[in-house]
Amino acid sequence: MKLMSILFSAILVNNFVLSKFMGICPFLGVSKNVKSAAGMSVAVTFVMVMASAVTWPVYTFLLEPNGLNYLSTIAFILVIASLVQLVETALKKYIPSLYEALGIYLPLITTNCAVLGVTLLNIESSYTFLETLVNALGAGLGFLLAMVLFAGVRSRVERCNTPACFKGLPITLIAASIVSLSFFGFSGVVEGLFH
Amino acid sequence: MAKHWKTLLNGIIKENPVLVLALGTCPTLAVTTMAFNGLGMGLAATLVLIGTNTMISLLKNVIPSKVRIPAYITIIAGMVTIVMLLVQGFLPDLNKQLGIFLPLIVVNCIILARAEMFASKNTVLASAFDGLGMGLGFTLALVLMGSIRELIGSGTIFGLTVTKDVIDPMIIFILAPGGFFVFGILIAITNKVLAKRGKTRPETGCAMCPSREFCKNAGQGDCSEANFQ
Amino acid sequence: MNTILITVAIIAGIGLFFAIVLTIASKLMAVPTDPNVEKVRELLPGANCGACGFAGCDDYAKAVCAGKAQANACVPGGGDVAAGIAGILGVEAGEVTPQAAFLACQGTPAVTGKKYDYQGMTTCAACNQLFYGQKECAYACIGLGDCVKACPYGALSLVGGIAHVDEALCTGCGACTKACPKGLLSVQPKGTPHQVCCSNRDKGAFTRKVCRVGCLGCMKCVKTCPAGAIAVKDNLAHIDPEKCTGCGECVAACPVHAIV
Repeated sequence: MKLMSILFSAILVNNFVLSKFMGICPFLGVSKNVKSAAGMSVAVTFVMVMASAVTWPVYTFLLEPNGLNYLSTIAFILVIASLVQLVETALKKYIPSLYEALGIYLPLITTNCAVLGVTLLNIESSYTFLETLVNALGAGLGFLLAMVLFAGVRSRVERCNTPACFKGLPITLIAASIVSLSFFGFSGVVEGLFH
Repeated sequence: MAKHWKTLLNGIIKENPVLVLALGTCPTLAVTTMAFNGLGMGLAATLVLIGTNTMISLLKNVIPSKVRIPAYITIIAGMVTIVMLLVQGFLPDLNKQLGIFLPLIVVNCIILARAEMFASKNTVLASAFDGLGMGLGFTLALVLMGSIRELIGSGTIFGLTVTKDVIDPMIIFILAPGGFFVFGILIAITNKVLAKRGKTRPETGCAMCPSREFCKNAGQGDCSEANFQ
Repeated sequence: MNTILITVAIIAGIGLFFAIVLTIASKLMAVPTDPNVEKVRELLPGANCGACGFAGCDDYAKAVCAGKAQANACVPGGGDVAAGIAGILGVEAGEVTPQAAFLACQGTPAVTGKKYDYQGMTTCAACNQLFYGQKECAYACIGLGDCVKACPYGALSLVGGIAHVDEALCTGCGACTKACPKGLLSVQPKGTPHQVCCSNRDKGAFTRKVCRVGCLGCMKCVKTCPAGAIAVKDNLAHIDPEKCTGCGECVAACPVHAIV
């Protein structure tokens, strides 16, 4: 039950993009059409789960016993960067069709703060290994939901007659504000369901 | 000296990283619920920027260009850890407020972009000034956004009561939607000012993007479909 | 001292571990790629316009290296690219005729009026849904720039309320022909002497009411043409480029100046 609660609150209530403000750059940059938004988010979800699965043992078995908690930032960014590179090489070799679909987004993810954010948050919330994976999956799915919804909204917004100074980024941000407002409707829902 | 002064002002006003270049949006939106948080975040990032710019400028001839991005990220991560420990030690309250966004300075586009665009090509002193200028520009924008959101959202500025007793504060402004909204309006105002002075937003596009190295169609502008297909 | 050593050792250890793993991985999982594909891809313009019939430049580069496509299929690249690809692959290049888009309409707001004031989404496709566009002539260029947005080379612009093709920049990829909801744009060989610059298929009397430069289908050009290259179909003149000698008699004869 706790796992379900973690999963759904990561997707809806504590949505990474819309309420925690992580991964805003890809949210604004790659949301021009639904197809690339979905591709990017699936790649992010994949890397988030992988990175959480690797950083959790690194922290628990390597850093914490030695009292080196403060090294987590450096260690995690190293792990994430290498992992992304590794995943990319492996996909290219063994699952070329998946590489074709996701490969181009993978390198963009190294510097995505949502991925580093989720690994750091897992540690901060002192989740167990399983909870860590579920939280990462939820965060990724939440990212996917926000990206795809917003790409739909944006394709309408882009075609509207906006005042010159609002064209581009400003009107996109205001649209994002309204989408994020709609996610407020979920607050309380998850608590009500699982507690 | 005049040249360094120009570099400094360039970062604060002409190429303000947040309002003009639209970089580092995540912390800009996340921590500006109060003016004080914006100030803290801005100064922390300034410290990191000065440190990384100086370090990278010193090491620019040592780092092989093939592995420079990972090397830069490691240097930045080290610098961020130092600043994080300082904040934790001396300003525990601020540390609690900024939370996860303090370590996330590592992946702030502004820092990697300045390392790549400026520090790897300029002298140590110029790079340090660029770091200071960009950092102060970032701080200025953050304080501005923080003040607006705090004033409307809780009726105070830097914790001092202003309109709280007269007008009911609109809490939505210190929540997520308010962040997007205020940022959108600020960028629109900057656009208007730039247009009035006959200038357009400098095309940052791919030159500033930390992923430019790996991107298939780097140099073609924004990250729309064309660049990823 | 011990703390420092452990710290350095752990970070260096993580770094070293991943460095070794990555090196091994890149050796073990190296995917053999055809170096020609990379070279061909670099030659191509990279606009992913699809004029070659493949899904973008990458796809075409692969196909041409696999022998599944002709070296001269890239219209935007023209002869230079074809020769370059042929050089890389060691095959015959073949000719590429330079082509450019042509807008068959001169309906600026000065010559055709407005049915209504359009304030909706700024795309031709949306405007076209509403009584066939805002202009009085149902065949006229709507002028909201769907083609301008579609052009990967920046060759199209809106001049005087209708689309304008800059022949110097246009590569003839045909992306705009698909974007125009009225089908006013077509790709034609560069240097075609005379064309009918109108698409109105209404009867002459009606055309006259909605546009000052619309083809009336009056047959004057058909009678004038010494080469017999012009025919009128559905109240609209057509010039057969094969027969046209470029004498210019029709241009002078057209009462509404619809032939350019």
